[in-house]
Amino acid sequence: MTATVDPHLITDLQKFGAADINACFSCGNCTAICPLADSDAMFPRKLIRLAQVGLTDDLVSSKELWTCYGCGVCTTRCPQQADPGEFMGTARRYAIAHYDKSGIARVLYTRPVIGSAIAIGAAAFFALFFAAVRGEQSRDTLALFDFIPYSVIHTTGIVLMVVVALFSLLGVGLLARDIARRDQVTWSALFGSRQAWGRTLRAAWYALGIESLGQKRYREDCHDDEPVEPLYRRRWLIHALTLWGFLGLLLATTLDYGMDLLGIKATGTPVPIWYPVRLLGTVAGLALMYGVTWFMIRRWQETRQCNDSSKPSDWLFLVLLWVAGLTGFVIEAALYAEPVPGWGYWVFLLHVAIAMELVLFLPFTKFAHVMYRPVSLFFYGLVKDAQRTAA
Amino acid sequence: MTTPDSPEPVADASATSGKPERRIGVYICHCGGNISDYVDVEAVREALKDEPGVVVSESPVFACSDGTQHDMIDDIRGRNLDGLVVASCSPKLHQVTFRNVAKRADLNQYAYTQVNVREQDSWAHPHDRSGATEKAIGLVRAGVAKTRLSDPLEPLVVQTVPRALVVGGGITGLRAAIGLADVGIQAVVVERAATLGGWVGTFGATFPDDASGAEEVAGLVEEIRKRRDITTYTGAELTGKSGSFGNYTVELTLHRDGSDKVLSLEVGSIIVATGFDAYSPDDGEFGYGIDGVVTLPEFKAMVDAAPSGGLTWRGRQVRSIAYVYCVGSRQEAGGNEYCSKYCCTATIHASLQVGTVDPSIRQYHLYRDIRAYGRNELLYNASREAGSTYVKFADDQPPSVAALPTGGLAVTVTDLLTESRELTIGVDLVVLVTGMVPRDPSRLVEVLKLPVGSDGFFNEIHPKLRPVETVVDGVMIAGCCQSPRTVGESVSAGLAAVAQSAALLKKGFAELEPLVARVNPEKCTGSGECLSSCPYDAITSIEWEGRSIASVDPATCKGCGGCVPVCGRDAIDLLGYTDAQMRAAIEEMVATERPKEPVA
Repeated sequence: MTATVDPHLITDLQKFGAADINACFSCGNCTAICPLADSDAMFPRKLIRLAQVGLTDDLVSSKELWTCYGCGVCTTRCPQQADPGEFMGTARRYAIAHYDKSGIARVLYTRPVIGSAIAIGAAAFFALFFAAVRGEQSRDTLALFDFIPYSVIHTTGIVLMVVVALFSLLGVGLLARDIARRDQVTWSALFGSRQAWGRTLRAAWYALGIESLGQKRYREDCHDDEPVEPLYRRRWLIHALTLWGFLGLLLATTLDYGMDLLGIKATGTPVPIWYPVRLLGTVAGLALMYGVTWFMIRRWQETRQCNDSSKPSDWLFLVLLWVAGLTGFVIEAALYAEPVPGWGYWVFLLHVAIAMELVLFLPFTKFAHVMYRPVSLFFYGLVKDAQRTAA
Repeated sequence: MTTPDSPEPVADASATSGKPERRIGVYICHCGGNISDYVDVEAVREALKDEPGVVVSESPVFACSDGTQHDMIDDIRGRNLDGLVVASCSPKLHQVTFRNVAKRADLNQYAYTQVNVREQDSWAHPHDRSGATEKAIGLVRAGVAKTRLSDPLEPLVVQTVPRALVVGGGITGLRAAIGLADVGIQAVVVERAATLGGWVGTFGATFPDDASGAEEVAGLVEEIRKRRDITTYTGAELTGKSGSFGNYTVELTLHRDGSDKVLSLEVGSIIVATGFDAYSPDDGEFGYGIDGVVTLPEFKAMVDAAPSGGLTWRGRQVRSIAYVYCVGSRQEAGGNEYCSKYCCTATIHASLQVGTVDPSIRQYHLYRDIRAYGRNELLYNASREAGSTYVKFADDQPPSVAALPTGGLAVTVTDLLTESRELTIGVDLVVLVTGMVPRDPSRLVEVLKLPVGSDGFFNEIHPKLRPVETVVDGVMIAGCCQSPRTVGESVSAGLAAVAQSAALLKKGFAELEPLVARVNPEKCTGSGECLSSCPYDAITSIEWEGRSIASVDPATCKGCGGCVPVCGRDAIDLLGYTDAQMRAAIEEMVATERPKEPVA
């Protein structure tokens, strides 16, 4: 089957980064040195080649794209200074934009001025919206949900989630379809028999449990970092704390909401620090702040060659996370402050606005990796599983 | 002018045998162990020491060493030797060395005979020591027998004309002409076309320095105009050559307004720099003939003429280009098997030019191997970094080109670098990177007797050590008429030919080997049989004592011996290898088949 090349892919892709990639002459040193490349996932050379030649569909639907953790060893060993590590990041940005059919991701990545205007505009919109519907500021207790009605936040959140879910499911569905076609994975191969179910569940456990929650390959990948980082700032730990922190906060929020539904505790009621949900939220919040802060420091310092050309959109995700986390702690402090501080209400408004934006931008920023990476890893897990069975 | 010896009788073997006994020194070399490991060198020395005429018989470890050379000189002088035989390696390696030993000891250098007991004996028979030893004894005895009958010979001296003919007015010929004038040799340039400059004169920017070929040629022509020592003829051809080395008479035919004028000139040397033809693809070869499929020279002219801002083909804007490399080069056996050497870099350079005309043009290079060697590698890097995509195909899976119904062209290629997937690339222009082919050499072969290789290019004597000389003395070749090469390499060869011309012509005379054929006029009956046997036209028929006999021009004769066996009267002898010498040598070898004495 002949593949028709897209002459514009490489120039289009370079709007997302990878300025040096034309220097690549396909020697394959990057693939040879990559601690994560194996016979089922040959990268970065193969993916660079797809981009150079112009095979767009093959590139964006490569599960290999998402098996890379960006350690950058390839970049340090590239004889042509083509920066394959940076290319992998760029190709992921390109894939996110490709599967975002709204076009917003592309604008955020490639049009820094308009992208920043959108980001600030969205935050301002949410802030103004909540300011417009705000209620009174009680001085007796910090009655946050009197200030911004609980139902408004709830309804706005639901609406946003529906919008985000539509775009996310479309993107994830398309990626899954494309990989499945490439790997010739059919519905019956996934769900057609007991064995098929077994394979599917094992691959799902591999993708979500072992890799997404457990960060197994990320941990191994970091073994090759040069120079060897102390544990507290190893890339995998920073990432894992961010992830676990985020999930912890999500869980705490869900539990809080659940307890409110069950009438155990009304949301916003002050509780002691050892109260399980509060404790979980505090610990998770600290983990998130630790991870995100390190991420920002490293991105700022440009310590690794493959990470030295961040796009504003990459920053956007980190900044939103960080501000959401920080304002969360400030609200926590305000909740227990005496007398009730007036600024607590405004910080809360900011917190809610930022949180809304964070949710809204999920499919359009680096945040989107939380859905694309597990999908790719699921198919990667299927291949690995098939090999084990064959062996 | 040449001073051929007048024909005179050659002393025959019977006359030599009446001379007093010869005093010959024989040296059998160990060559470290190259010879002595397989041949009993001491036994050979023993066997030779009592041969008639042998005065000295030695077996040095290395005959070519300085010390042994001095010992030989001392022996020649001290023992009054009049013949020297060294049994060692091939004469190709050390004949000159030992001839010089003879010269330094005031012995005629042609009284030296080299016997090859290494390549032709020890190396050939490593498992038969006694047989190899026996063979060595036979070979050395034969050498001694030949030496016994040797006559002193002197090199032939010919006067030379300080003028050189340059055939071809391309960049190589023009630069060579200036080089000749610089060293004080008049130059005459003959160019078949109506204008000087050749291929390079038609080019715009050329690699590696981006200088315009046309401007460089114009600079050379300007320089030539300033010099009185250089004459140029355009619309002219070399149509005849006679005479001998150092004194050739050449005939130039000037094509003038429908009538031809013939011009005769005396020249000392001839430099052939006739260049190449571009390979012309067959109809349908990689789509040649389809609108939008062009050859490299056509493309180069297009790019050179392109205005800044856009490249157009027949009025249409070119947005993308595919280059198919190695068209007409590196073909299968029977075709052009050679690499044309310049085309990778020329194409890459042209594609960089395209980038300056319109950087948005997408360029695909479909190649087998990129041979942008040396510093040209930097151009290759620059082209990749400028966004050119290189696609590697296998020798046995060449790309195909087809016209699209929607307009434009589709190039289909299996890319080894993309998991050997078949890619279809839509482009506006396909450039067939055509290589060099030899120009039809028949005219020059007829006139100059130049040797042509199996690939159709002219052959030099030695690719490394004598890179511009041909087997025809005083006739040199330079540039792409020798083999495909770049402008710089061609000009280098032209200047090498200048240096070689200077070496031949600047002394005013030249010495030639006296090992040439000579006619015995007493025996010659003038049958004329030998006349047609000479590949160098060295034999002519002359009047001698009222009858016609054959005569050999020693300056033209190459000493090949082709005429000797043709003569039914044995009237021709090859000096240094006379019939008598060869017969004596053979007889010694035949006699040695049954050893005269037991071999140790």
